[in-house]
Amino acid sequence: MAVAVPGQLNLDETPTWGSRSVDVYEKIEQIGEGTYGQVYMAREIATGEVVALKKVRMDNEKEGFPITAIREIKILKKLQHANVIKLKEIVTSKGPEKEDNIKPGDANKFKGSIYMVFEYMDHDLTGLSDRPGMRFSIPQIKCYMKQLLTGLHYCHVNQVLHRDIKGSNLLIDNNGILKLADFGLARSFSNDQNGQPLTNRVITLWYRPPELLMGSTKYTPAVDMWSVGCIFAELLNGKPILPGRNETEQFHKICELCGSPDETNWPRVSQLPYYNQFKPERPVKRRVKDVFKHFDRHALDLLERMLTLDPEHRISAKDALDAEYFWTEPFPCPPSSLPKYEASHEYQTKKKRQQQRQQQEEQAKRMKVIHHPAPHTRLPPIQQQPLRPGPHQPGHNLGPPIHANGVSNQHNNNYNRGQGGNNQNRAPGGGRPPHGGPSQNGGYGGGPNRGVPGGAYGGPAQQPGAYTAPNMGHQGGRGGVYGGPAGGGAYPAGPYGGGRGPPVGGRGQQFGGMAGGPQPPAYGAQHYMQQPTAQYVDIDGAYARASHSGFQPPSPPHRPDYRQGQR
Amino acid sequence: MADFTTSTHRKRWILNPNDLTRRYQTANQRAVDALQKYGATRVEVQSDGSLTYPGAGGDGENGWKGSLPEHLSIEEELLVRRFYENKIQQVCAAFRLPNKIQATAIMYFKRFYQQWSVMEHDPKNIMLTCIYLACKVEESHVSAEELGKGIQQDPQVVLKNEMIVLQGLEFELIVYTPYRSMEGFIYDLEQPFVQRMGTAGLQALQGLRTAAGFIVDKMMLTDAPLLYPPGQLALAALRIANQEEPKVDLDGYLQDLPEHKRLQHSCVELMAKLDAIQLLVKESKQPLEAEVRHIDRKLKYCRNPSLQDEAKGKRERKTKKGDRKRPPSDVAMANGVHEPLDLNVAHSAKRRQSEGDVMI
Repeated sequence: MAVAVPGQLNLDETPTWGSRSVDVYEKIEQIGEGTYGQVYMAREIATGEVVALKKVRMDNEKEGFPITAIREIKILKKLQHANVIKLKEIVTSKGPEKEDNIKPGDANKFKGSIYMVFEYMDHDLTGLSDRPGMRFSIPQIKCYMKQLLTGLHYCHVNQVLHRDIKGSNLLIDNNGILKLADFGLARSFSNDQNGQPLTNRVITLWYRPPELLMGSTKYTPAVDMWSVGCIFAELLNGKPILPGRNETEQFHKICELCGSPDETNWPRVSQLPYYNQFKPERPVKRRVKDVFKHFDRHALDLLERMLTLDPEHRISAKDALDAEYFWTEPFPCPPSSLPKYEASHEYQTKKKRQQQRQQQEEQAKRMKVIHHPAPHTRLPPIQQQPLRPGPHQPGHNLGPPIHANGVSNQHNNNYNRGQGGNNQNRAPGGGRPPHGGPSQNGGYGGGPNRGVPGGAYGGPAQQPGAYTAPNMGHQGGRGGVYGGPAGGGAYPAGPYGGGRGPPVGGRGQQFGGMAGGPQPPAYGAQHYMQQPTAQYVDIDGAYARASHSGFQPPSPPHRPDYRQGQR
Repeated sequence: MADFTTSTHRKRWILNPNDLTRRYQTANQRAVDALQKYGATRVEVQSDGSLTYPGAGGDGENGWKGSLPEHLSIEEELLVRRFYENKIQQVCAAFRLPNKIQATAIMYFKRFYQQWSVMEHDPKNIMLTCIYLACKVEESHVSAEELGKGIQQDPQVVLKNEMIVLQGLEFELIVYTPYRSMEGFIYDLEQPFVQRMGTAGLQALQGLRTAAGFIVDKMMLTDAPLLYPPGQLALAALRIANQEEPKVDLDGYLQDLPEHKRLQHSCVELMAKLDAIQLLVKESKQPLEAEVRHIDRKLKYCRNPSLQDEAKGKRERKTKKGDRKRPPSDVAMANGVHEPLDLNVAHSAKRRQSEGDVMI
């Protein structure tokens, strides 16, 4: 008799016909938050092993299991590497759980959720570096960079593009091991030049390379290397180096730092879709060496090669590992020699700061003093020489913020206000990128269910906000409308279907000011969204038919996939 | 490198023939037992892994009081699977999907049904879900609606079964197909051949490649893909094609292969495996339409025995009216259980008119 009587199955064993129930784990606390659900720290009851559970909610999905989750699972099952997060298993939940907040009428619509179970990591790089008073040493930075490049090289040789490299997606454990996480935007690529076009709406804005900003849909692993360059500089610099508030500004910041792209430094650049829209009026000189003149020679040399405008000449992960930087003193330290820290995820550090800030605000209110919270600032690494005296005040976040590239404090505060309700956990909380989801997700990327509802599959958007927002952005003056209701931190039901909304609001304001300025018409309106394209629409060729409610998607809208089988 | 050697495909999904047989037996037996115990075989998996049998219409054990329908034999199950695997190829061709997707969908289907009996989950629905999922995984997304429309099936069916299929596959979604391996071998053969024979060599190889492609199509309709790695399947296909119409000195190539590629197998072992695959292909037969029709009817009653009596009633009424011409399967259709799977996909209607009347 092989038939199991309902309820009699031994749950300790994995039944052959399914996945285990999430009940084999007990949740400890939430460590990340995002659109397709939350990320929890949990303990396997039977073994006591601590894991991270990343939830994939299954309701609200017109096309069933989210494609981003499929990609993530597929890729993570394939990649096995010390510097790539390990997917342990997939478990399911029976039905609504207490945190799902199912409305009474919806209870029978609920289809349960699934969880990806990951090895638990104590920190993410952003969370770690945002810790008050945290200061990395040079060997430590080299150690992290080396691991990042090793993991990324492994991805690239296995034909996987990560497409969302940033600090909060780099997890670090207390043995100093760094692992790439959140493969929700990753996908396989072929070296074949005739491959499917890929979506250019990936990578968190501050880490997005110029070719993506200019609309390239045939890109290479070099996109990830640009992000690595940004992170590298950020580690040495103590703060993000290219904190653009929208795509136009992002591009200008890149030009200010790396010079403006032209046919001499980047052959065929003028053929990119948005080259003309973005082209600065006057050519700008490259200033990487000036801006970062305090970096050591080898660091600067490596950074120069990572932040190379032309992706074809940008250094590969493999070559970067061979760079002098890693082979000159001080050498990268062994991971195990790194100090152990109390757990810190961006989600948590941010939350803590938020609470602090709220207290301060309340205090300020009581004292009737208007007080603008200022961004938390990081400390640059410990140098060989004694530190230059700087305005950084360890352990307190009220000091005046330092802005890269001459963005004034005032400017930054405007930005924060523009974010509507989101400002509470945006820039003031540590100057994270203007993103809804990804920056929230604490690395496991519970975050963005990027682009899945509606967008990815070409169905009309189900959530009114999600698609109309980008178009409205052009109208200006809408600032705050979308950001508003979300409130700090929680974004209860954002435009992405049960998730948090991107801080679209700020953009409206931005555009109010830009009206009459050069606005590229063919440029998909959503390009101006102040959010990670990432979570927004993932067209990647096959998805190019996504009905972008009224605007022309920048990549060819045909679906190239019904190719005849080659035989 | 993450490739076939490190893949879940190799680690988890290449079985030995005895294991496979045993799995088929287990699944069949579970369904047969359920039929006796609950009166129906249609199963639903609860999220805690327990099974329920809603098909009987009642609550488990005491549900169905009527006469028990006849269950399918293991051989009949095999025929049903073959039939639907063939359908996968047809649907994929109708949608002009690349053969990688076709093969992936078939592999999903095969992997699913070495755990489950066709009596437990409706193979028509599972087939569609496998195609849908293969498209999604291989980055050639076809929306459920579009897929449903193309073959006049309810898209909800596809989505409803997605989770159970994903679980059945244990979320191991990467499949290595023999088509790709074959391209590799052709590429490998190309240089020496073109050197020796010039363009004539190239032409001969092209001919071989086309012929072997068709053999692989056929091979996908056997158990071979569950038993052998894609490289061996591809070699066997090339060998069959070349034996049918000798074009190249394949045996010479195969002789050198183990040493040349530093394979684990010796040449003798490799040949034995290829022979075994070739035998599977040779012995495979496509079920006849009428045969499947008959089994399919049994299948329906197993899943939902109440249909049996309804059908009986109707048949009797019809017999009274003297309407003997209509095949009994129409009865089930009238009950809305099985609609014909019409493959008149808009853009390929012309090419595939003959498919329109196929019943599944």
